[in-house]
Amino acid sequence: MPSFRFASHASRRGPLRSLVHAAAGLALAALAMPALANEPWQRLDAAQSLLGDSEPQTQGLTLDLPHVSEDGSSVPLTVIFDGELDEGDYIERIDLFANANPSPSIATFHLTPLGGKTEISTRVRLNETQQVIAIATSQQGERFATAREVRITVSGCLVRNGGEMPDSLSNPRVSIPSGLAAGEPGEVRTLINHPMETGLREDDDGNVVPRHIVERFSVSLNGDTVFEAELRQSVSANPYLRFFLAPQESGEVEFTWQDDSGETARHVAELDIT
Amino acid sequence: MTQHSSRPGLNRRQLIKGLGAASLLPLVGGITPFAIGGQHAGQVVVIGGGFGGATAAKYLKRTNPAIEVILVEPAEAFYTCPFSNLHLGGLRSMHDIAHGYDELQDRYGVRVIHAMAEDIDAATRTVRLSTGSELEYDRLVLSPGIDIRWNALEGYDEKAAEKAPHAWKAGPQTELLRSQLEAMEDGGTFVMVAPANPFRCPPGPYERASLVANYLAQYKPKSKVLILDAKDNFSKQGLFMEGWERLYGDRIEWVGLSGDGRVTRVDADRLEVETEFGTVHQADVLNVIPPQKAGWIAERAGVTDDSGWVPVKPDTFESQQAEHIYVIGDASVAAPMPKSGFCANAQAKVVAAAIAASLESRPAPEAYWTNTCYSLVGPKYGISVAGVYRVRDGVIAEVEGSGGVSPANAPETTRALEAEYAVGWYNAICQDTWGTPV
Repeated sequence: MPSFRFASHASRRGPLRSLVHAAAGLALAALAMPALANEPWQRLDAAQSLLGDSEPQTQGLTLDLPHVSEDGSSVPLTVIFDGELDEGDYIERIDLFANANPSPSIATFHLTPLGGKTEISTRVRLNETQQVIAIATSQQGERFATAREVRITVSGCLVRNGGEMPDSLSNPRVSIPSGLAAGEPGEVRTLINHPMETGLREDDDGNVVPRHIVERFSVSLNGDTVFEAELRQSVSANPYLRFFLAPQESGEVEFTWQDDSGETARHVAELDIT
Repeated sequence: MTQHSSRPGLNRRQLIKGLGAASLLPLVGGITPFAIGGQHAGQVVVIGGGFGGATAAKYLKRTNPAIEVILVEPAEAFYTCPFSNLHLGGLRSMHDIAHGYDELQDRYGVRVIHAMAEDIDAATRTVRLSTGSELEYDRLVLSPGIDIRWNALEGYDEKAAEKAPHAWKAGPQTELLRSQLEAMEDGGTFVMVAPANPFRCPPGPYERASLVANYLAQYKPKSKVLILDAKDNFSKQGLFMEGWERLYGDRIEWVGLSGDGRVTRVDADRLEVETEFGTVHQADVLNVIPPQKAGWIAERAGVTDDSGWVPVKPDTFESQQAEHIYVIGDASVAAPMPKSGFCANAQAKVVAAAIAASLESRPAPEAYWTNTCYSLVGPKYGISVAGVYRVRDGVIAEVEGSGGVSPANAPETTRALEAEYAVGWYNAICQDTWGTPV
């Protein structure tokens, strides 16, 4: 079969093509850096009212979300801060927004120096393809912002029929680290079953299901609050939170969830520092 | 006119070689009629002989027989993932799901090389094979399927897969899992670990659980199936659950993400898995369907992004990152199209048309795709989901009002008919892809 071309090194056309690729790469990199006036947080009122006149830094804060999600009812999200801060300063607040959701504010996290590592994961609802925005505020007032676009598809092979859903707070689950040294950051994971009704959904008979969400989640160590979250409708059903604690001493960790009907759920765990 | 005319930097010796090759063609037979006149239509290398690659090779030749098409596929027999669950359930032999490349070679004049593609140089447009030889291409089609992300799930590596098979690429893994099921004592638990999206064949794990339950119900009636899932929703969930209840009672238990179903550690030696919140489940047969990524050669070609999959231009499936490389099937990011054999077949036809057009400097025809995913809940109990897709606002979108799923609470006759349609679908698509006679 002599008509098929096998490569011969004499015919390589590498350098020229590589240059073209490199140029294209540079052009793409330029496109990836939007003009300042066009940052997603500048186009969202809720984010602007939080920022006020301050110009956030764009390095140091990262959002990790899939580029494409086939299930907008539960999109995994992680926000990480690894930027520079003055000595003694720390990130004390992170706000999350979804700019095309009916109610853009997703959640607000309140952190303390006992976090040790600023990395929080949760699962969020995204109504459609849009920008997800994170804004971090340090205790001394430094601001950081980042955004990431997520494309939401409705996959025909991923039709949702919904499983059974509890109508109140149930099955709190907690995973805490063991064998930590004092001050060493350890991963904490929590999950609780709750419908997180948005107040926008209709039931099978066409009646609007009233809003019913977990509004607040807090964690204390030996009585001192070490982590808090204000949750809103855009947090997925069965709220999941993953964050870090760097405790200096052993003690009792108490987890509390509170929903908008006033109901609360508690879970207590013993944390041992070696 | 030479076959190399569009390519700069060619030396004189090759030019003569090319002419010599063209002059030999009449001896080869009638398979490349356009080349006889000295017109070279271009050389396309296709990597991967599954639903995507074999279809692309065939339809390139059907569109323009003058295009030189080389298919690179290590295996001489390709075992399909669709219907491999029937083998697990004892309903089909491996022979029944094996397909070869005779039609592509003998009828369509595709050159099939049984080798591994080991490297791709997009700059010089060459593919290096495990045999040491290199192939040049004007256009490259990658249909490499999936690879397992070893160790993405703690404790699950290639060695672990010998004890806790994934069986998510049909072949020896399928046979291993089947033999473990056959060896399992009555009263045992078949534990399946199901992955988060995206992954190959969204309804596949649930069809597998169904057909395993069907086998157990007949031969090991005290045994159970436990699915530990990293998702809260899965494909055709309502239909599967309705079928499970009807056919298997409470034999199949499904634990979703919000019920602590996400497995975070596998101990293959002890057939044990641990979930995110510390529940340990003991299996008698452990089937771990792990996180996946595009087939390895896509990484070598430099077309994957940080998700591990390949972003493509939706109207042609050409890579967004490398010119003249087209990527189809499970490896590509084609959502909302699922990662299915049917989608790979449909994408291959779009790519064949787009490449044939681009080799003649014509614009690609407008693309659309169809997909149906049949699943067997039992041998006589079929369900399906179908969709039609087009490009809208620059992305692939399901055509509104197209497709849909099987009706809920349908009578047994409807389910039995769909089970027959599933077999008809399988036979038809295998005939279309590999020419396998029914």
